[in-house]
Amino acid sequence: MPGQQTTRYIYDSVTAVAGQTNFNLFQTFAGKTDLQSNLTTNKLDSSESMVIKSLFISSNFSQFLTGHMNLNIIVGNQVVLKDFNPAFNASNRGVSFDRLHSGTNLPWLIEVRLLTDIVIPPQVNFKATLELAEGGTLAGENITLGLKGYGTIFSAGSTF
Amino acid sequence: MPARNVKGNVQAQDKILYVANKLGLSSLKYMQATTRVIYDQSVTAATQHTLFEGAAARSFPLTNLGANGNQFQVDEALLVEKIAFFIPIDESGQNFQNGGQTSVKFDLIIGNKTVMKDVVIEQAGQQAFYNDGSTPSYVLDLEGVGILIPPQVEFKIQAKSLETRGRAAVSQRLGMYLFGTGVLLNFNTSI
Repeated sequence: MPGQQTTRYIYDSVTAVAGQTNFNLFQTFAGKTDLQSNLTTNKLDSSESMVIKSLFISSNFSQFLTGHMNLNIIVGNQVVLKDFNPAFNASNRGVSFDRLHSGTNLPWLIEVRLLTDIVIPPQVNFKATLELAEGGTLAGENITLGLKGYGTIFSAGSTF
Repeated sequence: MPARNVKGNVQAQDKILYVANKLGLSSLKYMQATTRVIYDQSVTAATQHTLFEGAAARSFPLTNLGANGNQFQVDEALLVEKIAFFIPIDESGQNFQNGGQTSVKFDLIIGNKTVMKDVVIEQAGQQAFYNDGSTPSYVLDLEGVGILIPPQVEFKIQAKSLETRGRAAVSQRLGMYLFGTGVLLNFNTSI
């Protein structure tokens, strides 16, 4: 049965401990509110899939998100985004990857539009890891990774 | 539709496959396409810098190239579509700022071939392609489709800093990134 086509946005937030520089995203969901993650497991349902077209990072870090980063996204056993540094799109320093999605003057928000589509198939585990160069994270601060793109969600169809 | 601009009639993936075919890289078309940025930085102030060369001896956050350094591993490649420079704030290389009132003249060398010669990224010299609010651009948008760095070939950048308006050499720290469509190794079969 064909699924309902849609725009999909999935996100996961991690609460830091003091000095934390390595974050595992889309890996643990226990105890998170629906505003911290809109998933309950790190795979899409059997009738759902999505294509990642852009990624978003936000935080309430006191050190901001302007330092170098290493972002990896793994789908199944395949690294689909490797040692990527979104920091060049952070803040308006004139080195953003493209003019349509260039950085704002808000150094705690980053969006990056990807050049290639990344597919998350149904029922395949995915996860992300993020390493920050700067270690000024305070306990209780949050960082969120969002993935946005085309999606397919379950559709019951027109007949029952 | 891919999330990218079509430049003329040729897309980035087309060029990657064309070059791979010319080089006899028959398996590259089976690999994982991605968006990739690689960067390296020299955190000691100087008027001339050689970037990416010797990057295997440096670790994050000085560079994101890892143990392979300035050559991609088997079946990995990068089609360079944008090049930018930035200034590391201090010797830790953890954070950076834009080039201020400076420009950078550079050569990009792949293998034993100079593929970009005496190119300058001028402060605010790319505004036709790029406008980051009121901040001058330090990003060079490559004409055409870009330049492919194939697997297992060393590459480096030789760069000089200059004061944009006075055209005098400037001693400063320097970092540069290469951004574009990438290819990552993907085992599609059992070994």
